[in-house]
Amino acid sequence: MNNEAAAHDGDHSHSHAPVQQEEHPTYYEIMEIAVRELLVDKKLLGPGEIRRQIEVLDSRTPALGAKVVARAWVDPAFKARLLENGRKSCEEFGISFYDDTQLIVLENTEKIHNVIVCTLCSCYPRVLLGLPPDWYKLKPYRARTVSEPRAVLAEFGTVIPDDVEVRVSDSTAMVRYLVLPRRPPGTEALTEDELAALVTRDAMIGVITVNGPDEKEAP
Amino acid sequence: MTATEQHVKRLPNDIGGLPAAPIQQVEHPLEPWEKRCHALADVLDYHKIINTEEKRRGVEALGAEMVNSLSYYERWIVAFANILFQKGILVPGELALKMEEVEARFHDSDPGAAAPRDS
Amino acid sequence: MRPDSTESQASAANVVFAEREIPIFRVGDVVRVAERSPVGHYRVPTYLRGKTGVVEAVIEPPGVDNEDESFGRNAGIKLHYYRVSFPMTRLWENYKDSPSDALHIEVFETGLLKEKP
Repeated sequence: MNNEAAAHDGDHSHSHAPVQQEEHPTYYEIMEIAVRELLVDKKLLGPGEIRRQIEVLDSRTPALGAKVVARAWVDPAFKARLLENGRKSCEEFGISFYDDTQLIVLENTEKIHNVIVCTLCSCYPRVLLGLPPDWYKLKPYRARTVSEPRAVLAEFGTVIPDDVEVRVSDSTAMVRYLVLPRRPPGTEALTEDELAALVTRDAMIGVITVNGPDEKEAP
Repeated sequence: MTATEQHVKRLPNDIGGLPAAPIQQVEHPLEPWEKRCHALADVLDYHKIINTEEKRRGVEALGAEMVNSLSYYERWIVAFANILFQKGILVPGELALKMEEVEARFHDSDPGAAAPRDS
Repeated sequence: MRPDSTESQASAANVVFAEREIPIFRVGDVVRVAERSPVGHYRVPTYLRGKTGVVEAVIEPPGVDNEDESFGRNAGIKLHYYRVSFPMTRLWENYKDSPSDALHIEVFETGLLKEKP
């Protein structure tokens, strides 16, 4: 198993050595184990709760968000409900929200390109996309997306024409965002599953657009 | 504004609009302990032992030096410890003892001991 | 009280809404972000303080003040959050990209002040 070094905010990029299960755990891992065991011993947490929550987390991947996007592309009534109340529509789709967050789905159009960020921490639509990538949680993305979004998008290879509004949503409260990317041209014949397969996590964050099937191998 | 007010008024995580480096598209699969730490945060929020907003404040309260040098989940677990002490749910001594005990398990060189005992 | 659609529904059902249930800002209102600098924890970023924007949406359901929540207050009076838009050019002096670019963010009711349009 090749673990990349855990990323954090310091200027140094070496951070920690990779931790394998056989190696000595870090101070922080020891702390995590100790805190958890004490709380279970005191019956503040039930045995099995952490394990169950790990299963919940593992079940949340970008494939869920992609399914929602694909359904919105093919079903205008679903899309209308999704834009009206994101959480309710996802629940109708069988995706439970295990926390108190709401969801606003941001539709990209020929006039508006949406991108999401959390400048203060790392708020992210985890129930739909799973856990966010390190870069989303690190300083460069969080600091610059709200003040120079087009430069940030360009670093991801995305150029938005000047006559299209780039709309940055900064999550700070209990609403989470999901970008509904534009359906690429030339996809009329695709099934819903095939459409979902085109939709990537980064397109639902808004840093890239969705490529049509012919564009997948573009350099 | 005096020179020191800025430290109180602007929290270390409040970085929107500050100059920063180009984005490096790094990501890493979570270490097992990190995933357990994330699950712990969620479960603590379910119980409202530590709600999500308390966690955020707890991380900020670590101060700039720790915020800038500890990794994401390292900040969380230290914040949890502090908040649990503040709430009288744990005391520092018992956590220290338990950490010693956990560390001793690993010195007994059983890789299986790394797995969660329960929960 | 200001007329709004929630209120006419209330009249139809003949109930009186608790004051806090009625959002004090409506879509289209011009609002200014409060400049206050709370000690300890806040969720209104510094880059927004004192800036003027437009209410784009009233977020439902109402919630507790997240700044109070951060100190363990899980219950209490619930007020509304508002999604507010700001042109980038108003937030950043040197914004050179498209003047139509904007930032949207949720702000708790107590963090906003009504401005004349």
